[in-house]
Amino acid sequence: MENNNPLSPHIQIYSWHISSLISIVHRITGVINIIAITLICLWIVSLLLGETSYEVIKSFLQSFFGKFFILGLSWSFSFQILSEVRHLIWDLGYGFELKTTKITGIFVIFGSLLFTVLIYLLGKQVI
Amino acid sequence: MNTVTKKWLFLKFSSIVLIPLMGWFIFKLASIFDKDYVEVVIFFSTQPSKFLVSLLLVFSFFYSALSISEIFEDYIHDEKIKNVANKLLFIFAITIPLVTILIIFNLSI
Repeated sequence: MENNNPLSPHIQIYSWHISSLISIVHRITGVINIIAITLICLWIVSLLLGETSYEVIKSFLQSFFGKFFILGLSWSFSFQILSEVRHLIWDLGYGFELKTTKITGIFVIFGSLLFTVLIYLLGKQVI
Repeated sequence: MNTVTKKWLFLKFSSIVLIPLMGWFIFKLASIFDKDYVEVVIFFSTQPSKFLVSLLLVFSFFYSALSISEIFEDYIHDEKIKNVANKLLFIFAITIPLVTILIIFNLSI
């Protein structure tokens, strides 16, 4: 007998929406954050081992890649914070309308980029 | 209350705690990441950062372990493998923050 059931949409032909994009990025940033926090734990271990071992990590963090790492981490943390706030608002029963989910989704994307710049500039006491 | 509901409530409670902690920590990290050894040790070994970083570590590993165990629930169908994966995950989520917190409380100039 021929199976006429519709096939699940394949990821390559899947029509992307803000909500699905935010959902996937939320999971990815969650994984990135816990890996980063584990690396920060190693950074703290290097403090106990003394100044020499700390200097190795410091020289990486002062390099272009180190600064990129901190900027990336600022974005990943900012994204996770804003996305989690969005989830908590949903848990309270608000924000499920299609238009609202699009607006809050766009706010998460652009808000996280703005927060990243602000965190970095405030942290470096540029502003 | 069933286990899944408890897990969901723990996830929500830890995310409420983590939101301000993550905001505070990333701002502090951006200001100290390229500082000298002494300045960084002072940051981690004095209050309130000593307490707040410890809290961040406990809650972030707890939150991650709960989230990752949900992924195991969705994608690992063999019960034995799932149990082993969950046990390894919880050992990791307890050991790493515990060792790091012990180090933070033993740091001094």
